[in-house]
Amino acid sequence: VTFRDLDPARAWEPYEPGPDRPWDLVRAGHLFRRAGFGADWGELERALRQGPQRTLDRLLRPTEDARAFDRTHDGYEAAVGAGDAEALRAWWLRRMLTTPRPLQEKMTLFWHGHFAVSNARVKDARLMRALVATLRAHALGSFRTLLEAVAEDPAVALGLGAGVGRKARPNEEFARVLLEVFTLGPEACTEQDVRDCARAFTGWSVFRGRRRYYAREHDGGRKTILGRTGALAAADAVRLALEHPATARHIVRRLYRWLISEADPPADEALIAPLSASFARDHDIGKLVERMLRSNLFFSAAAYRQRIKSPVEFALGIARSAEAVVPTTPLGGHLAALGQDLLHPPTVRGWSGGRHWINGATWAGRSRLALALLGGPGPYGEKLDAAALAGRHGHATPAEAGRFLLDLYLQGDVTPQARAALLQGLERSGRDAKTSVRACAHGLAALPEFHLA
Amino acid sequence: MWMSGESAMNSTRRDFLKATLGASAVLSLGGAVPEWLVRSARAASTGGDRDTVLVVVQLTGGNDGLNTVVPFEDDAYARSRPTLRLPPAKVHRIDTHLGFHPRMAACARLFQEGKLAVVQGVGYPRSSRSHEPAMRVWQTADPARPERPAGWLGRMADRIQEARAVSLPVVFVGATARPLAVNAEDGFVPSIRAAEDLVLVAPPGAAARRREPGRSRRAADGPLLDHLRRTAAEARVASERIARVLAAGRNARPYPDLGLAARLRTVARLVRADLGIRVFFTELGGDGFGGFDNHANQLGNHCALLHQLSESVSAFVADLEADGLLDRVLLMTPSAFGRTVAENGRRGTGHGAAAPLILAGGGLKGGLHGSHPSLTDLDEGACRFHTDFRRVYATVIDRWLGLDPTVVPGGPFPPAEILKA
Repeated sequence: VTFRDLDPARAWEPYEPGPDRPWDLVRAGHLFRRAGFGADWGELERALRQGPQRTLDRLLRPTEDARAFDRTHDGYEAAVGAGDAEALRAWWLRRMLTTPRPLQEKMTLFWHGHFAVSNARVKDARLMRALVATLRAHALGSFRTLLEAVAEDPAVALGLGAGVGRKARPNEEFARVLLEVFTLGPEACTEQDVRDCARAFTGWSVFRGRRRYYAREHDGGRKTILGRTGALAAADAVRLALEHPATARHIVRRLYRWLISEADPPADEALIAPLSASFARDHDIGKLVERMLRSNLFFSAAAYRQRIKSPVEFALGIARSAEAVVPTTPLGGHLAALGQDLLHPPTVRGWSGGRHWINGATWAGRSRLALALLGGPGPYGEKLDAAALAGRHGHATPAEAGRFLLDLYLQGDVTPQARAALLQGLERSGRDAKTSVRACAHGLAALPEFHLA
Repeated sequence: MWMSGESAMNSTRRDFLKATLGASAVLSLGGAVPEWLVRSARAASTGGDRDTVLVVVQLTGGNDGLNTVVPFEDDAYARSRPTLRLPPAKVHRIDTHLGFHPRMAACARLFQEGKLAVVQGVGYPRSSRSHEPAMRVWQTADPARPERPAGWLGRMADRIQEARAVSLPVVFVGATARPLAVNAEDGFVPSIRAAEDLVLVAPPGAAARRREPGRSRRAADGPLLDHLRRTAAEARVASERIARVLAAGRNARPYPDLGLAARLRTVARLVRADLGIRVFFTELGGDGFGGFDNHANQLGNHCALLHQLSESVSAFVADLEADGLLDRVLLMTPSAFGRTVAENGRRGTGHGAAAPLILAGGGLKGGLHGSHPSLTDLDEGACRFHTDFRRVYATVIDRWLGLDPTVVPGGPFPPAEILKA
């Protein structure tokens, strides 16, 4: 990381390939890990051919195919019963695994970790489905529209204990989360703001899965929220929180961690400021994401491998790159055991991520999951066959297949020692090609570098 | 004080570490020696940080304390329980008034040997009698904010990991849903079904021992990659040690064929492998068959559960003792609430309040702690508490684990005199 990378004037300018920073396999792989769940070989080749701008265009703009895909999947999910969050989790994972528009799913997952209510409290998979659909619809749209929809969402109300909004019992938990987690971030508002925001939401309840307003239960008195005084209602509280300058900074920072770097210490205020100023004006999520992904900073050492893959990114990365549609029902459970139970974030702050994903047990568990995904007896069967994949791409011998997998998954960017150790194993005699290549792929997934996004 | 305090290590423990770890093992790992391993090895020679272990066995559903530690001489007991009362001749007598349930012979023996203690009348003010809120109170250790999302052991795990002391400070052992107690704000407390879960897998036909690929470092490597490499090295060492324990365990002491016994055997294996895990959480009665929540026909079900508890704990104690590890381990059995004194007309009991907490291990003061609550001066039909469960938790965290007891809010709590000096 150089001083130049983090110079605010230069950091957010669009990346242009040059002799010292060519558009190569490494940068293409980096882009697909962050803007999606990893690339297959065809996507990497096309990206190299088309260059960064057109590749980003394709990631950012939906096609008619993508809309049809979403409609089909909406239909599948509509059949999920209220008590079957496991089925909904599996459908979502399948969508992530097969979507023609991975950035949209990646951002839906981001918002799920930001508006992190858990079905452990909502206890209704149909309401969770509606919430995730809302997050998806606005994942790259207007943050104003998204926040307004979330503030009115029945799952969010139930997930924050605000199913009943009586005048006599304003729900401060909901108000605190709205201000301190969803919008302004920590330490930006007072206890009075929280109390009066809770009063502004009185009258709103959830009745049979729908939000209902009971005018007689609304506290119409004077309130002071974030410096404004008046007979403020719920919509006013949402608008004031949205327009508070801390909100744009908070969202930009969270997105910075998601798309650019989890490394500590977090980015300087000066680096964040140009983005938060612009986001505060238009609340355009798509524009913000696009600016980050197209930037010099994104393609610099300050971002490259500066995130740890979540369990979802780890597992889907293995399968998606190998063009394998693995069964997602067992996968949902396995990911939960690794610390990421979709639809059940641990707290309302979502998953902390970063080095918290990795401990002695999750490390061993990731290795076990990689082995299962790579085929053999077990829940994933032979959906993923690394040797056959390499063969389809013209790499017939185990040694060629090993080099192909290194390029596919890590774009060849590993230490010479690791490369030698992985490829050496392939030349041992006495094993069939499939077994050798599988062992090599498993060894690759056990490299510490593989766990960086 | 936080992460300090005098050593609780005895010479057996040091010998054990020397034998299993040894200088040669440290050297053979070269530059990739994990931090905790170095600390652990250092502790073995200097007697540094504590290596005590807490095992929490939650009695899920609300245990009937009166039929666990039985006031068999009390007229009110016999009067209140026409079908559920246990005959005085069959209880295992502690003194002239109290005795263990007839199926708890093994616990009674541990009690005689000073390896088991009973803290009586444990609860908290205005205790809840609904499952969900009461469970949340005990698992968050925060009656003022039971809606908080992280449990007391999850919060403790976060603090230990923040200090980068060990990779796996707390684990949940079992196949049931992960309980709130281990839910953390930042980190992730893993669920372990068997010790084998921590053994690194290799595909069939893989080279027996690949060269450690992460050995060389480059200047641009950041803290995230360092963390991954350190954890990978730790996991490799842990895996080898568990494999050794499992291989050596072929002739180990027997455990009864009971669910809790199997989970405690897993705990014993992990304690023996010495991975730096400080707290194990497991459940009895949490497998969806009602557990300790016996509103009807309580007698048989409660018998079976207490028998399972007693036999499993006793096998666990014997196993640890055989290896000289018992002095490092403390087991305790929280629940959600006791039950009503009177039975309910369906040969069962309702949700109550105070109940006894059973402790087992080598470092405790055996015997009875506190008096048995009155069976006539009741709190809505249930025993009144006199010892706040948070006192016991805070004492265990502070004095047994040597960690910061402020993870239990509302303190400071006066220490409970339940541990050996």
